[in-house]
Amino acid sequence: MNSLFCRIPSLTAVVTTALVTSHAYAASAASKTLPPNVPPSMLSQPNCGDCHTCANPTRQDDCLNACPRHTKAHTTSSHAAKEAPDSFVIDKLAEQYAGVNFNHKLHANMSEMGQGCAVCHHYSPPGRIPACETCHTKVANPTELRQPGLKGAYHRLCLQCHREWSHETDCKVCHQQPPAGAQPKSIKDNGDIMGQSHPVIPVPEKRVYDTPYKAGPVVTFYHKEHVELFGLKCTSCHRHENCSYCHDLKKTVAQKKTMEQVHAICSECHEKDNCSTCHDTKERPAFSHSTTGWPLNRYHTELDCRACHPTGKPIGKLMRDCSTCHAGWKTENFRHAVTGVQLDEIHSGFECTDCHVNRKFTKPPVCTNCHDDGRTSKTNPPGKRVERKPK
Amino acid sequence: MTVNRRAFLKLAAGASGTLVASRASANAVASNSGVEPFGVLVDTTFCIGCRKCELGCNQNNRDLPRRDSPQFEDKRVFDTHRRPDATSYTVINRLPTVDTKGEPVFAKAQCMHCVHPACASACIVGALQKTPEGPVTYDAWKCIGCRYCMVACPFQIPAYEYANALTPQVRKCTFCYEQIVTQGSRPGCVANCPNEALTFGKRSELIELAHAKIATHRERYIDHVYGETEIGGTSFMYLSAVDFKALDLPEQGDTPTPALTEKIQHGVFKGFVPPVALYGLLGLVYLSRRKEEVENTAADKDEHHE
Repeated sequence: MNSLFCRIPSLTAVVTTALVTSHAYAASAASKTLPPNVPPSMLSQPNCGDCHTCANPTRQDDCLNACPRHTKAHTTSSHAAKEAPDSFVIDKLAEQYAGVNFNHKLHANMSEMGQGCAVCHHYSPPGRIPACETCHTKVANPTELRQPGLKGAYHRLCLQCHREWSHETDCKVCHQQPPAGAQPKSIKDNGDIMGQSHPVIPVPEKRVYDTPYKAGPVVTFYHKEHVELFGLKCTSCHRHENCSYCHDLKKTVAQKKTMEQVHAICSECHEKDNCSTCHDTKERPAFSHSTTGWPLNRYHTELDCRACHPTGKPIGKLMRDCSTCHAGWKTENFRHAVTGVQLDEIHSGFECTDCHVNRKFTKPPVCTNCHDDGRTSKTNPPGKRVERKPK
Repeated sequence: MTVNRRAFLKLAAGASGTLVASRASANAVASNSGVEPFGVLVDTTFCIGCRKCELGCNQNNRDLPRRDSPQFEDKRVFDTHRRPDATSYTVINRLPTVDTKGEPVFAKAQCMHCVHPACASACIVGALQKTPEGPVTYDAWKCIGCRYCMVACPFQIPAYEYANALTPQVRKCTFCYEQIVTQGSRPGCVANCPNEALTFGKRSELIELAHAKIATHRERYIDHVYGETEIGGTSFMYLSAVDFKALDLPEQGDTPTPALTEKIQHGVFKGFVPPVALYGLLGLVYLSRRKEEVENTAADKDEHHE
């Protein structure tokens, strides 16, 4: 940690001047995307004299004033780290990679011990600190080569420290890997509150509601399961709620809702279900696949629900035989190592049914067809035991 | 016979005169058309060796063999020194040196798109051309596969498809010509650089930018922009914290590589003087011989009469 802060002074200088120049200020003041808190005089009618010291600036001699962004008047000293959210997701550009879970509190605490907020917030006029994208456009501005685009601004800020501190520059260090098979998140998807720099809200495991419905007062809602199983966003259900739903500290009594309002969200999906789908006399256990009549075995527990239920619908009349679904597995294409036993040369040439008599794969294989010493697969496995790696 | 030769000479002189004139006017148009050449400034102090430029290059140049993006995440390639070849127009190398903070130094290698390209000068069929927009382009239809360009290039960039027996081509960075000239966007490598170590823009503005960066961060950069003047200037220019020789960029003088050869070649043929001189000499010889002949014949006749 010491080494990090020893290096920060040079770093600040680098970052600050790398990111903004006085010219950028003049250029942006004239454009429509004005940084906030620019003096009103400049907003209404940019005055040449605000930036230039002479009447006829040329390309060779632009006679620029010191940029107001660099003066001491524009510092972040009036802000405290606790005013900012503890953490947020940086995903304005998430495309190839998932957004970055940025722990602002941790970084702010670290910089408070060093150079302060200005390590990153190099432009902070009085008032609210402007967001990076106020000045740094998503595609670097071709008329202002000194000002990096938003992607460059993000990466340069992070990497200047991370490169020296942890010596790690791998993308995966900051970017969470999107789950396998997940669609890359669209840049434009700001529909979810998480997409608007809201810190990640922990999803509750379950909620148990006590309702006035006499026949079944208890409704057990498995919140996390719903979110994960059906790929819901916060706003899929919480779209009618405003900030004070969570952030009103004085909230004592829950707002009265009519019966229709209460059921509206659930019945969007459960429109065909009746009362007993949700209402019960006691708290219900979480969903377990064994209640369907087929407890998942060691291979299937690791799968995502959607791997087998792509439409989200249950599969009826499932035979408990492996070949019902895996009809194509033969000696040639089945990777036996997934079972935990890598077949040796002799055994790998056999047909499946030579050992798994009558294709009963859930039962232990029969060795006595060939071996007459009464061995079993447990005492003498037909190959090397390996660590089981599901696909 | 004499008449025929004379007619041919007249024609040839006329044609070449027109050619010279048209070349001159073409050059005048190119220099006056207001096209300011593009360039790329490679700030190696920002390069982290993520190989995203290689990925962007591969995705943009559709004629290159396709590679998946995970293939470009393999950092083990840095264990060996690589050069651009027929299948990759740009490569990143981790160089056997460290910067002032002890961090590894990476540098991108690709065609430099010289202002006075030796490859285009050496090309005897004009398959390689310097465009007014900056890129040095290659036309496979004109190429005869002589590979003079490979010998001529001071950066040893053009690669040859030796593995292709029937239709081998010379391969080198295209500067994403189509994209930057017709679509007005940035080359694939630049657009894909997360840290914006690469800046695309007008070459003159990039030189300005480079010097401004050096002036602002004296501690960060060596006070030199590689490619500003080297061999008469290049379109890809480099900023560095360490000696440029360590970046795998050869030490070059400021004279364009083809300057000497072109001076001789163009000098020899300037104003069509040598052919005119040669044929003029031949003509003089012929005339003097003819005069002699006429005199001799006349003398013979006189003798005969007598």
